[in-house]
Amino acid sequence: MAAGAPARAADLEAGRQKSEPCKACHGADGNASVPGTPSLAGQPIYFTHWQLIKFRDGRRKDPQMTPFAASLTDADMADLAAFYAAQHPTPRPAGTDPAKAAAGRELAQQHHCVSCHRPGLVGHEQIPRLAGQDLTYLVKLLRGFKAQTAGDLDGTMTTAAQPLSEADIDNLAHYMATLPPVPAR
Amino acid sequence: MLRITLTLLVVAVTFVLAFGPFVQAQQPAAPPTWKQGQPASMADSTLAPIAQPPAPKAPGEIPVDRIKVPAGFKVSLWAHGINNAREMVWGEKGTLFVSSRVAGNVYAVLDRGDSREVKVIAKGLNLPNGVAFRNGTLYIAEISRISKMVGVEDKLDNPPAMETVYDTLPKDLPHGWKHLAFGPDGKLYFNIGAPCNICLPPDTHANLSRVNPDGTGFEYVAHGVRNSVGFDWHPVTKRLYFTTHGRDWLGDDLPSDRFDVLTAKDQHFGFPFCHQGDILDPEFGKGKSCNDYVKPLLKTGPHVAGNGVEFYTGSMFPADYKNRALLAQRGSWNRSKKSGFRVMMVTIDSKGGVAKYEPFAEGWLQGEEIWGRPVYTRQMPDGSLLISDDYAGAIYRVAYQR
Repeated sequence: MAAGAPARAADLEAGRQKSEPCKACHGADGNASVPGTPSLAGQPIYFTHWQLIKFRDGRRKDPQMTPFAASLTDADMADLAAFYAAQHPTPRPAGTDPAKAAAGRELAQQHHCVSCHRPGLVGHEQIPRLAGQDLTYLVKLLRGFKAQTAGDLDGTMTTAAQPLSEADIDNLAHYMATLPPVPAR
Repeated sequence: MLRITLTLLVVAVTFVLAFGPFVQAQQPAAPPTWKQGQPASMADSTLAPIAQPPAPKAPGEIPVDRIKVPAGFKVSLWAHGINNAREMVWGEKGTLFVSSRVAGNVYAVLDRGDSREVKVIAKGLNLPNGVAFRNGTLYIAEISRISKMVGVEDKLDNPPAMETVYDTLPKDLPHGWKHLAFGPDGKLYFNIGAPCNICLPPDTHANLSRVNPDGTGFEYVAHGVRNSVGFDWHPVTKRLYFTTHGRDWLGDDLPSDRFDVLTAKDQHFGFPFCHQGDILDPEFGKGKSCNDYVKPLLKTGPHVAGNGVEFYTGSMFPADYKNRALLAQRGSWNRSKKSGFRVMMVTIDSKGGVAKYEPFAEGWLQGEEIWGRPVYTRQMPDGSLLISDDYAGAIYRVAYQR
């Protein structure tokens, strides 16, 4: 592990080259088309970097990501996070249900999603953009937080997900997936 | 006027009767911990916790020369590249063990003369803020578990497995990260914070606790302590002194964080009923009196986020520094003008009172911009002082030059 190695500025072009193996699932420009796989385009740098650290260190587990992240250096993670943050997010095609999205909108209010994810759920810093994210992925991750297996940084999401029912999770995901994917600022 | 009021009342009552069950079903869930207790008048506030960077800063991005210390002292960058560096404790063979919080790592830092070598000896842990060392064994405190690595200093490249010492602890993540230290009685002391910004915590929370290093004899030591992640024992009186983070969302200047001394086991320090010794909580203070709780030894300032506490016992600094307490203040987020981001120094008089409270090191805050957050201190064997910075991922050394 490269702790102790001098950090240096992230390199977008290096990030693009290092993202070659990621393309198959996450898309060449970070806009994924595989259901269940998140789009990384326009996600905050801190967010993507922290997720890669968590995959590498085993705090977040995924059959695809765990082996891929195992070999990443700190510099790799910084470059990848910078590359994806610079890409423009496009909407994910999803069969969203307007009634579920409307119920999800109410739930997002009740559960204070905007407190951290900001109005429009566009995210910032270590907090991801949820707007326009893949429906299947959102459901999978919310279930993971509820089951306490998704491994968030400081417990905020694990705590927030505990009162959610399976229907709540479905409705919230439908709402989030319908929002326009404005890049995080 | 009266008629309008009555009409409104009737409408309101009708509404509640008609939609009462519906309204109840729509009861909002608890907001995230940092947002709890925010009054409606502050609903538009943009204040939010400062994000932890995912990577340490490069040496060129760390302006050490901006750290101001008293005349005769000199600051240098001692180690860098330690993501989220927090607590520091010395092994017996010259290794500095360093914890982290959200990075989930424990590091071993080896002094190689002109530079320091950093090894990760544990990773993927659950907010492992607490580290303590005794008899060749490193103790690590995560959220709900204290574990140990026996003989670790001889096996830094192939660290021994972590063995559980004690894990019957609450699993709540909010304020669940721990300071861990050996007391003069040889017991391991730690905190169990309130699982909220402000709430009536279960009896198992908002305390200081201790357990024998073999995992037996767990007991509470102090109560009504919202979140203390720093304490030390006075070198002469052996009394326990600790900092506490105060609640948020009572405004820029209230309440003050605290520096306290425990004079008897099981004292109550007021949370959640009374803050800073003289303000009743607007919700939980009803019917309570601040006189029923221990008052702070010192109000350290609003939102300063006092973490590290260490009494200076070395011989490098001028003689009057002996037995002064150094308080590392990680700095505010819940304040429109930032406060903290400094190391303060407390001089305690012969009667146990505070004779002086003054800055020792500051400059991580420039105007309203921060470039680092001092979080803990640790004396070196030569009497110089290390300061960890979890934001820059660095450790500074403060030395005195006669």
